[in-house]
Amino acid sequence: MAAGDVSHVKARFDQVSKRFGNGPDAVQALEPITLDIAENAFVCLVGPSGCGKSTLLNILAGFETATSGQALMDGQPVRGPDPRRGVVFQQGALFTWMSVQDNVAFGPLATGKSKAEAARIAARYLEMVGLSSFAKRYPYELSGGMQQRVGIARALANDPQILLMDEPFAALDAQTRELLQEEIKRIWQSTRKTVLWITHSIEEALFLATDIVVMSARPGRIKARLAPQFALSEDPAVVASAEFVRMKAQIFGMLREEALTAQQQEAAR
Amino acid sequence: MSMRAASGRGGRSRWINLGSFLSLLLLWVLVTTPFGDKPLVAPLFLPSPLAVWNTFLTLIQNGYQGKSLWYHLGISLFRFSLAFTLTVIVAVPLGLWMGMNETVKAVLDPPIEISRPMPKLALLPLLIIWFGIGEVAKVVIIVLALFPILSISAMQAVRGVGRRKVQAAMALGASRGMIFRRVIFPASLPGIFTSVRVCIGLGVTMLVGAEMIATSAGIAYMAMSASDFLLTNVVIVGALIMATLGYSLDLCARALENHIVHWGGKEG
Repeated sequence: MAAGDVSHVKARFDQVSKRFGNGPDAVQALEPITLDIAENAFVCLVGPSGCGKSTLLNILAGFETATSGQALMDGQPVRGPDPRRGVVFQQGALFTWMSVQDNVAFGPLATGKSKAEAARIAARYLEMVGLSSFAKRYPYELSGGMQQRVGIARALANDPQILLMDEPFAALDAQTRELLQEEIKRIWQSTRKTVLWITHSIEEALFLATDIVVMSARPGRIKARLAPQFALSEDPAVVASAEFVRMKAQIFGMLREEALTAQQQEAAR
Repeated sequence: MSMRAASGRGGRSRWINLGSFLSLLLLWVLVTTPFGDKPLVAPLFLPSPLAVWNTFLTLIQNGYQGKSLWYHLGISLFRFSLAFTLTVIVAVPLGLWMGMNETVKAVLDPPIEISRPMPKLALLPLLIIWFGIGEVAKVVIIVLALFPILSISAMQAVRGVGRRKVQAAMALGASRGMIFRRVIFPASLPGIFTSVRVCIGLGVTMLVGAEMIATSAGIAYMAMSASDFLLTNVVIVGALIMATLGYSLDLCARALENHIVHWGGKEG
């Protein structure tokens, strides 16, 4: 929901900073960042490469610990991975040795569901992402776009309270990406799961997000927050609207500035 | 990628394989056939394929030194299988454990790494002093050769499991046990299978070494003792049986590999 609504805070970064390494070689990846993610919001993090957006997501996922501050979910500090937080990766995270169906049933089985129940849940989410007829196939038999759908169904199968998605479509071709964006939008509109989504693509962020958080070059800070209105639209043509184009130019300007800074940082090293 | 193009290439390779094999056989026939008064290579050095085949049939009928050919083959197979099975049962779990646990790796790495480059056949005289001239020394020498390879590659396989796959399993709520059983172990299998196949070739080689001293049975023993009497035909039959043995075992392992780790080398 847009900022200003009185809504429950699903997840919060409370003065979270991250430093990699020690001594003079240490790299400050994130300045202390405070960010609230409202329940049912679709928050997109955009920023130049190396700005620490993945680090931020990994801290909320519980894969990494903050150097200072903490990530909270429902007011509780994050202490390691938890099935209430579903994670979708860019690629290479599917269990290659399991059928598509077993991949999706993995979470329900891990969280104590019976085999039959897990299979029912897997079937339901495979239908949601349109892969019912591929249940018995193996991930390597699927296209990149279908593999990402499996990853999404697998994360949804635990019915998590928040979805953390780290550039899930970055490795896909443009047409597949657009179709999947529409599909994600449909899934989000019907489930209203809280989502934290990392992307390089400004269009993707504008098309999907209720909140866009623009980050600065390293060390990552929050440079701006925007609340586009296109996430609730069902029309794929919103991308051609004047408002969409205006916001795109605005974010593009901000990111260009940061990307140049990032480049100068690289050159200075 | 076009599947037909891939299988077409495979089909072409198979014809070339067959052609290459037949040319070798033809060369063998040519140098051992007497065109004129005698063949290019004397039968003492290289008997003709037909002579070798006849010797093989005779060996099947009469055995060698009072023991049937099947007995010699059986004892060789027994030594190899016992050593190979023992190694797989011990080295693979140990390697997996080393891959999972830094402390275990720190303890076991030095003895394994030190023993790895050591030529194991050099230890055979020592093993005979320790274990006598029975079967134990022969099995131990093969185990010693295969153990470091299998355990280290199982460890490497575990350490090579994609971090994202493990993270995904953790985020899905899997316990440590479930992560090992359903993620780390299966993800390590392709790497383990590769070294199992390497070990088959090496195991057969070690078997030959082990049968060269202090035994009176086995295919390699048969070839070794026949060379003392310049029975070149028998030597070649022995060598070919060992080659066939190694090749068939590798085919079995490959079939098993294709069946169990069908996803090997493919990303998803």
